[in-house]
Amino acid sequence: MISLVRYLAADVFRGQRFLAPLLVFLGVLGMLFSSDAGQPLEAYSGSAALLYPVTAWMAVVVATSEDVVRREITVVSAGGWSRVLTAAALVAVSIALVMALVAAVWPVVTNPHPYTAGQFFVGLGAHTVCALLGVGVGLMFARPVFDSIGRTVLAVFSVVVLTYPLGRATPLGWVLDALGHNQVSLSVLWAGVVGVALVAAAVVVGVRRT
Amino acid sequence: MDGYLGVVHLDQVSKRYGRGPWVLRDLTLEVSGLVVLTGANGTGKSTLLKIAAGILKPTTGRVVRPASVGYVPERFPSDVKMSASSYLAHMGRIRAAAAGDVLERLGFAGSLTAPMSQLSKGNAQKVALAQALLASDVLVLDEPWTGLDPEAARELVSLLQGRTALVSDHEGHLAGATRVDLAGGHVTIELSRVVGLDALEALEGVRSVSSRGSSVQVLVAPDRSDHVLAEALRLGCSVRSVR
Repeated sequence: MISLVRYLAADVFRGQRFLAPLLVFLGVLGMLFSSDAGQPLEAYSGSAALLYPVTAWMAVVVATSEDVVRREITVVSAGGWSRVLTAAALVAVSIALVMALVAAVWPVVTNPHPYTAGQFFVGLGAHTVCALLGVGVGLMFARPVFDSIGRTVLAVFSVVVLTYPLGRATPLGWVLDALGHNQVSLSVLWAGVVGVALVAAAVVVGVRRT
Repeated sequence: MDGYLGVVHLDQVSKRYGRGPWVLRDLTLEVSGLVVLTGANGTGKSTLLKIAAGILKPTTGRVVRPASVGYVPERFPSDVKMSASSYLAHMGRIRAAAAGDVLERLGFAGSLTAPMSQLSKGNAQKVALAQALLASDVLVLDEPWTGLDPEAARELVSLLQGRTALVSDHEGHLAGATRVDLAGGHVTIELSRVVGLDALEALEGVRSVSSRGSSVQVLVAPDRSDHVLAEALRLGCSVRSVR
């Protein structure tokens, strides 16, 4: 499995399509924290909200990095779809976790308000949850669940855009609400459970679709 | 599924995509040694190869294959950014196998370190073959001679000797291999006044049903053609031709 993860990660980085979501992420993060972003946890809500669509986009990039034919070769070499889709999910989650770490560290360095270790870890946890939710949404609508990239983009975009106005009706809303009110809530943990379940479900649905 | 070394069993395998026509019907095949698939375009050769390799699941039926299968698609992608050496190294690590001297034997003449998108069609095909030949048990090869020069084609024949492989081959490179003609076993029945295609498709022995203007063409296994004809008449269809 490690060899497979390394191969898929190498293919993603060689393909360079990861640069677009990464640059959008870094650019918007830079703008968010270019001036006083407010109290520590409150400041995190903007970057956590940003991570959700960007990691969904990144997950689509990872899932579609190999074209259909090369993916078939990889499936035969690795011994089945479940191994390849699990490895792709691990690559997407690993990249998302690095992005979550960057988003959590950035304001600690640039925001004029001092951060305690506790606030940092709460922020890191919240960002991790948002990243997992994004990866789950991205994988759920990417190949092999949806065969066409047009449908994937439309579905991911629609779900991401619809998530924000639904507020506390969604796991993302639980996290952003907790950060916005400067309080740690158990709902963040539950949102994390939903995020992990969403990623796992995307792998299962993908395997069943093949 | 678990299998035993070097043999693929396909038992009563049928395949259709969604609610489309049957591409394969009730195919039973044991692949041991060299087996060549022949048949016209659209007879299900590539579909059968993908099922044997484990890429596609059959709609019905059972496939038993060994653990280590190598696969070469009909067309290897041309836009791969990774270099040939890097790609083969990754594939070797995934399979825990060494690439050996397959590329040299096939006369690979491209750059091993440049992106594979810069390779000629023939050299890209040699990389595709090299990754498949890492497999220890069975090879599944879809038109593997595509783009190869005559010397490489001869070398590939030599590399396949003594192995178990299911190969789609229009050009007759593997003269001594067992041949399976996917189209050769059909009886074609042309019908008119067909009420429902589903009822025809459900009949035992029917491999595919397709509409052609006002008529319907039904491909049937030879040993079931009498049964299908009788059932078609019972369903109210008119028979235009049987060949």
